[in-house]
Amino acid sequence: MSGNLSFNDVTKKFGTTIALDSFSVHVNEGELVTLLGPSGCGKSTALRVAAGFEAPDIGDVRLGTNSVLGLPANKRGLGIVFQNYSLFPHLTVLENLEFGMRVRRVSKLRRSARVAELLDLVRLVGLAERFPHQLSGGQQQRVALARALAVEPQALLLDEPLSALDATVRLEVREEIRRIQRDSGIATLFVTHDQEEAMAISDQVCVMNSGKVEQVGAPKTIYRFPSTPFVARFVGRVNDLEVEILKPGVARLVGHAQEFTVPATSGIRGVARVLLRPEDVRIASQDDTGTLKGIVKTLHFGGATTAAEISVLGTDHVVRMSDSTRAINCEVGDNIEFVFDTERCLVTAATH
Amino acid sequence: MKPGRLAWWLVIWVVGLFYLIPMLSMTRFAFQRIPVIKLSFNNVFSKWTIEPLLTTFSDSGFRSSAMLSIWLAIATAVLTLLLLVPTMTIAHLRSPRMRRVIEISAVLPFVVPAIALVVGFAGAFRDTIPQLIRSPFGMVPLYVITALPFTHRTLENGLASLDLRTLIDASRSLGASWIRTVLFVIVPNMRASIATASFLALTVVLGEFTIASLLLKNTLPLYLAYAQGQNPQGSFAVGLVLVVLSAGFVTAANRFGKRVVS
Amino acid sequence: MVEAVTGQYRASFIYSLELSAVSAAIGLFIGSLVAIAIVRLENVRVLRSLVVGYSSVAANMGGIPLAFAFLSAFGMQGLATRLLREINIDLIGWGFRITDFWGIVLVYLYFQIPLMTLILVPAIDGLRRTWHEVAQSLGATANQYWRFVALPILTPALLGGFLLLIANAFAAYATAFALSSGGSRLVPVQIRFFLQGETITGKTNLGYAMAAWMVLLTLVLVIGFQTLVRRSERWRQ
Repeated sequence: MSGNLSFNDVTKKFGTTIALDSFSVHVNEGELVTLLGPSGCGKSTALRVAAGFEAPDIGDVRLGTNSVLGLPANKRGLGIVFQNYSLFPHLTVLENLEFGMRVRRVSKLRRSARVAELLDLVRLVGLAERFPHQLSGGQQQRVALARALAVEPQALLLDEPLSALDATVRLEVREEIRRIQRDSGIATLFVTHDQEEAMAISDQVCVMNSGKVEQVGAPKTIYRFPSTPFVARFVGRVNDLEVEILKPGVARLVGHAQEFTVPATSGIRGVARVLLRPEDVRIASQDDTGTLKGIVKTLHFGGATTAAEISVLGTDHVVRMSDSTRAINCEVGDNIEFVFDTERCLVTAATH
Repeated sequence: MKPGRLAWWLVIWVVGLFYLIPMLSMTRFAFQRIPVIKLSFNNVFSKWTIEPLLTTFSDSGFRSSAMLSIWLAIATAVLTLLLLVPTMTIAHLRSPRMRRVIEISAVLPFVVPAIALVVGFAGAFRDTIPQLIRSPFGMVPLYVITALPFTHRTLENGLASLDLRTLIDASRSLGASWIRTVLFVIVPNMRASIATASFLALTVVLGEFTIASLLLKNTLPLYLAYAQGQNPQGSFAVGLVLVVLSAGFVTAANRFGKRVVS
Repeated sequence: MVEAVTGQYRASFIYSLELSAVSAAIGLFIGSLVAIAIVRLENVRVLRSLVVGYSSVAANMGGIPLAFAFLSAFGMQGLATRLLREINIDLIGWGFRITDFWGIVLVYLYFQIPLMTLILVPAIDGLRRTWHEVAQSLGATANQYWRFVALPILTPALLGGFLLLIANAFAAYATAFALSSGGSRLVPVQIRFFLQGETITGKTNLGYAMAAWMVLLTLVLVIGFQTLVRRSERWRQ
């Protein structure tokens, strides 16, 4: 029933704007791959190209081994869920779910059975006779999902399905989507601009920027080993520090004397930037050498973790540090000593 | 061009032609000094003149009726806005049911013939407030009602596209009174629809014949009708100018507001 | 009241109704096509504003200017009539008269079509693009989309518009009067005849009665319109 979905070198322009630039991504059967990026990065365009609402200028989209580009949108066998206004307002939930089947002239008996199955799947039994406007946002999206699955599509395309929902509902529906996707084993392409969402449910995350792929990998990989400055900045929080590279592997904050080690990056000399995650900054212990000194400016209490903003003594630099609340046992205004764990930081040229 | 699009363009062109032909004939009649019978391919482009227009403009009867109509149009537009904007704002905020009621009543004027309106109006106020019937401005309420279907829809579209709740909450929280809020927050955001609604009121007043004729008031449409006898070319010339101007105004207002009338 | 609808007067009611129904039906069809056309051709920026602008003016047109415009175009001495004769299409010879039933229908269409367009365009705007795309993803052909999604959603506006057009035509007094120069078989004209010729005919009551029937009929139409509107509200957000 499922196939795998792949984009090969897809390029799409709208007038002079390049929406997709040699875009390639592969979604395996059973996988949930998220296209993550800011508005205008091309993620929705990619989804629309797969669905058949836009045609690429160059490149191919395949389902299994067959290209779908020759097929019109209504023959591709892909399920879609949109951000909102997905459901047909003049039909009941039941009629909405049946729609795809009625189009294929499935018998009434089989339709009823399948609808019952679907309502059970999304846990909305008993709401069959309601109209969309009588349902909550979360319920509507679940019906939309069920409707897309009703005709057993080969792959599922979700275009920011959670963006219009309230925060708490978003979490619920997100888990539902993941559960259903896992159970049915269907290849799924998920589009969002919310990186927390992407991290939480994906098997693979594809970070996009200006139509290009910045990095593809498992959520953990993307987070801990960002390969470009864009990914480092877009996913999670990051300290963007202005530094001076004295020699390969050694750097210091601009205007500050203390040197610290960084990954040796060829070709970068002089003024540069270091991207360091807050959790890679920690309060110095007795044995640490090469510590920096600063004053705690603010504390952000987040329950299990706390983030502190530290003003580095003698400079304008502000460093953000994040750790378990237990480890951060200082107050605003305290003088502290801290170190950088620079194993996983990213060194990049000054203009980035 | 894709065949699908071609079909739709055809529709536009055919209907456009239908709209244009009578207007063109009228233009020719108004501005060319050749009776139709004597027209041939030779003299199609000769004897065109705007003299009929000028003659009409110089007639004092024209000027007085035009002034009256313009004042009536302004009064109608103002009354319409005063009536509708606050009411519709409240309806949008508080009660969807009220909205629906207003929507439905806004369509009624279409359906109630102008005659019935006048008969009812005259009958009701003839004995109580005769001044209302004597003064031409007594027609303003009737005009407001007649224009209601168009003006209401326009304002409705403008209002619906605003995030009303947020605007009002923001304004009130900054200390503004209700009147200030409506005048300085809501109205500026509805500029396009208010402009279009006013122009629509104008077109209605300028085209309205029945009410004025039954109440025997000398408005512009009436003047044009009676002038038909002496100066047919002139009166139709003016009529054409009115049509072009009105359509132009509404189109322009629509362009600047994007989808305000419909 | 009964006299108002018997004999020769019944004929005028029927005539009025026929005229209204026919012009409404044709207006419905063509007006819808225009509305769809300007939404489909969305990327020509000026088109929609222009059509809507002119429709707003045309829908309000009536009476003498309109009647005369048509007379000057399609009357016995009309410009178009003459031009068509040059290319061997003799309308008059075929029996076409602007003052006949079909002639009046043609004139009425001048304000019926734009009215329908104005009514329908917002309804078509309301057809969200997502519904069309979802329908496609579920396998629907264009035909099936229209049958199962678009048409059902548009039906209240279409039917409501149709009723409105009928009522509008039925009440059109000035145009009819102008076209038929006072001797018409149309109800509104006859009402005026009776009401203004008080002392001469002595049949003012008849005039009022006819007016009353007119209001009654239009009331029925309005109620019909209201029920349709309410039905569309059933599932609109």
